[in-house]
Parts: sequence; structure tokens; C-alpha cells
Amino acid sequence: MTTPESNPVTLIVPPIATMVRVGRLTASSIASLADMSVDDIDDIKIAVSEMITLLIQRGNRSLVTLRFETTPDSFAVEASTPASSLDLGRNDVALATAVLDAVTDKNEISFIDDRILMRFTKATGTSTTSSLA
Amino acid sequence: MEEIGKNESIRVLIDPDGTVIAEGDIDLAGGPLLDTAILRIEGSNPIVIDLAAVEFIDSSGLRSLLSASRRAQGRDTVVILRKPSAGVMKLLSITGTTDQFQIEGAGQ
Repeated sequence: MTTPESNPVTLIVPPIATMVRVGRLTASSIASLADMSVDDIDDIKIAVSEMITLLIQRGNRSLVTLRFETTPDSFAVEASTPASSLDLGRNDVALATAVLDAVTDKNEISFIDDRILMRFTKATGTSTTSSLA
Repeated sequence: MEEIGKNESIRVLIDPDGTVIAEGDIDLAGGPLLDTAILRIEGSNPIVIDLAAVEFIDSSGLRSLLSASRRAQGRDTVVILRKPSAGVMKLLSITGTTDQFQIEGAGQ
């Protein structure tokens, strides 16, 4: 199967809990088009779920914007929402970032221009499943 | 079998033995329904949660399970996770929380 060119997909969702699943399924569909393995896609679903959940819970109840981008050897997501602050020491934030650290190759979370901004990159063939076996 | 509730993520039931049965995804939408069911059987000893039909869990769902575990430990009992899928076991492993639960029949 031919790997698609890097054509970013943008998804904008309202800040409601059921949208976490929508984001997860969208990410899964795009990653499968990019020929990522089932294990990689499982990691991506967890990472996207953590991102959207954190943005819904720590944002100021505004829209959450996600941008998905694939390359021949990676999958990247950038997500953001307006917020008044970001406390990285909160238990829920710390747990989410610990999960992101485990299932992605690179990730970052920042507070810039009154928005929480999150990014992660997942390289092909780096799922956590094999390392846990 | 009593249905506690369902939404786009999850369906939660309690069987006649007092076991909470979760079906679907335990995430930001599914966690609160699971919390409701667990609180309903809070007097049970131990608390048994059947996860055989759980397809996905994230850290917000895990917090529901960890909260139940903390409350159970306060009552000198445990939370038993029955038939957790490989996905559930993976999240427990990467968060270092496996030992907060008694695991029965983990999936592959």
C-alpha cells in the first residue's frame, strides 16, 4: 500500500467528554491509512485520548483543535485550546503526561498566548507493546 | 442484571452477584458511569469489576479504578479486576499501578 503524502487533517471538536472518542477514532483511521501497525495505532489512540481529555478538563470550555499529520515514518498530532493557566503539577496532568511519555517518541505541553498547546510524534514501529512483553 | 447506564463510550451493569461489568471504553465519558456503579456496590468485599468487554482505557478511566482501590484499601478490602484486556494491562503497567489491584484472568 502506498503511504499517503503528508496531508494534514484538522479536527475541531466541542469540549464535551464524548468527543474524546471521536478524536481517538479519527486518529486511528488516519494512522491506519499511513500503514502504521496495530500496536502503533493502539499507542496513538491512548496518546490522543490523553491530549483531548487534558485539554477539555484544563481549558476554558472552548473548542479543541487537533491537527494530524503523517509522514512515511511517523505520525504527529498538535492540539490546543484556550485556557487561563496550566498547572503541570496537578495529579491528573502528571498522570496524563506520564502516559504520553510512555506511548510516544516525543511530546511536549506548553502554555502560550492563553492557550494550552500539546504535541506528540509517534515513529512507525515503536509501540510500547513489544517493550512490555 | 441491572443496567446502571450507558452512553457513546460505555455500558455498565451490575450482575446479581454484585460484580460491576463494564463494556466499551473507560474514558472521560465512560469513567463517571463506572464510578456510579462502583459506588453502588461499595459495601461489597471485595469489589469485583469485570473488564472482559473493555476495549479501551485511558488515564481518566484509570483514575476511576484507582479511586475505587484507594477507598477499598481504606475499608481493608481490595478491588479485583476480572479478565482485563491486554490494553488495560498495558496502561496499568506503564503507569506503575498494577499492584493497586488484584488481577484475575488477564488477557493477552
